[in-house]
Amino acid sequence: MNYAHLHLLLNHFPIIGTAVGLGLFLISLVGKNGDLRRASLIIFPAMALLAILAFFSGVGAQGAIRKSPGVSEDLIERHQGAAMLALLFMEITGAFSVVGLWKSQGTSRPARWNWSLSAVLLFSIVTVCLMARVGTTGGDIRHPEIGTGQEAKTEGSLISKMASKFEPSPAKFAELMTASKWWWAFMMDLHFVGLVLLIGTVGFLDLRMLGFAKQIPFRPVHQLVPWGMAGFGVNLVTGVLAFTGMDQYYTYNWAFWLKMLAIMLLGLNVAAFYFTGAFESVEGLGPGEDAPPLAKFIAGTSLFLWFTVITLGRYIQSYSDTISVHK
Amino acid sequence: MAVPLIFNTIEQTALSTWLRESTSIFGFYFILLFHTIGMSLVVGASAVVDLRILGVAPGLPLRPLKRLFTIMWVGLALNVTTGLFLLTAYPTKALTNPDFYIKMTFIGLAVFTMRKLSIQVFGDTSLDEMAMIARGKTMAAWSLVFWVGAVSAGRLLSETSKYVLYGHLWGS
Repeated sequence: MNYAHLHLLLNHFPIIGTAVGLGLFLISLVGKNGDLRRASLIIFPAMALLAILAFFSGVGAQGAIRKSPGVSEDLIERHQGAAMLALLFMEITGAFSVVGLWKSQGTSRPARWNWSLSAVLLFSIVTVCLMARVGTTGGDIRHPEIGTGQEAKTEGSLISKMASKFEPSPAKFAELMTASKWWWAFMMDLHFVGLVLLIGTVGFLDLRMLGFAKQIPFRPVHQLVPWGMAGFGVNLVTGVLAFTGMDQYYTYNWAFWLKMLAIMLLGLNVAAFYFTGAFESVEGLGPGEDAPPLAKFIAGTSLFLWFTVITLGRYIQSYSDTISVHK
Repeated sequence: MAVPLIFNTIEQTALSTWLRESTSIFGFYFILLFHTIGMSLVVGASAVVDLRILGVAPGLPLRPLKRLFTIMWVGLALNVTTGLFLLTAYPTKALTNPDFYIKMTFIGLAVFTMRKLSIQVFGDTSLDEMAMIARGKTMAAWSLVFWVGAVSAGRLLSETSKYVLYGHLWGS
């Protein structure tokens, strides 16, 4: 397996998954179906996480094919710019979906319509359009048999023309991230502040489930979760920006990819917590009450994985250039 | 001002050299890792207590949060220990950097505030929750400011240092 393989494996998920998510969301609106709406609100953040991996793996895929005959650097650049814009909207859609899920907690019936759901609707429609363009521009790089032809590659549809006006130039964007050491230091500083918020709040929640400070009921500790999510949001943004600034550095780094793997596993951990009944089993825990084994297991895994993320993040610096494929 | 010769002496010791030059995963980055973990414990737990006092998660009973102070002290102990190792590895780099003293000042103020919160707010059992919040509000706000200052000053150490080692300026 190489990066081109990994990129192909990952890149269809956000494109198709977001369209499926939007479809379910629209049907849930027409049919007033709460379960479908919840499903779509789960699909969007899942795709938002996978989209990051797809985006990151693109740099390695570029390294794998750039020297092949008939591959145009310009087309790759255009695809990368399109991906950056789509990723932005994908992450916003994911974030609003999480807010929507949070607001509809504890109800299986459709929660009252609120601003976060309007935002999900709006941003997911834009994301689906932008993702389509990412797919098309990506296909142009390597699939001449699709036959959009050279003219189409530069002309494109109305949506492509509009989108291309907002797409950043990857090279210029990278330069912007690394031009000032102070900007870089500021981003990394925010990455640390986000880490502290995340570990403080989510770590506390996990410890409570494991039996620490048992006299505190579960529900109010759970109120801290939005702060942990905010910390994660800060780190997602600063992390992706750092990647775009030094994509070669991160792409060929084992510690970085293992860190990403651990973050994806944490996504599964969150899903396991909220969607297997573990959350319902601890939701009503009062003072002195013990969490059931499944919830404890999930809490322990979460703690372990978060500290794994910190560990791998810390070792990125000493693992640069540890992957040598297609460099 | 001349750089004190003792920094050079420290850098020549076996421990200091090993910390800097070892390629073992238990070398420099291992110490740095535990410095980061310590930070997440002391600042993370402080942030939860501070935010609660400042009105976040109002349903969270305040008094039992006293348990979080144990985590803070463990984190702090970890960071004092690992910090001394980091200082042993690069004494000139740290001690000739004004930002290092800014960081130490922030940490001093933050720990002072943490102790004050622990004793005057959580240690006074005569206070009910309202009274704890009234007394702790200013301390909690300053605590957040001091910790963000300490983390930021710490992050900026590598950007602001003048020397790498004794007699070696950056880039020379």
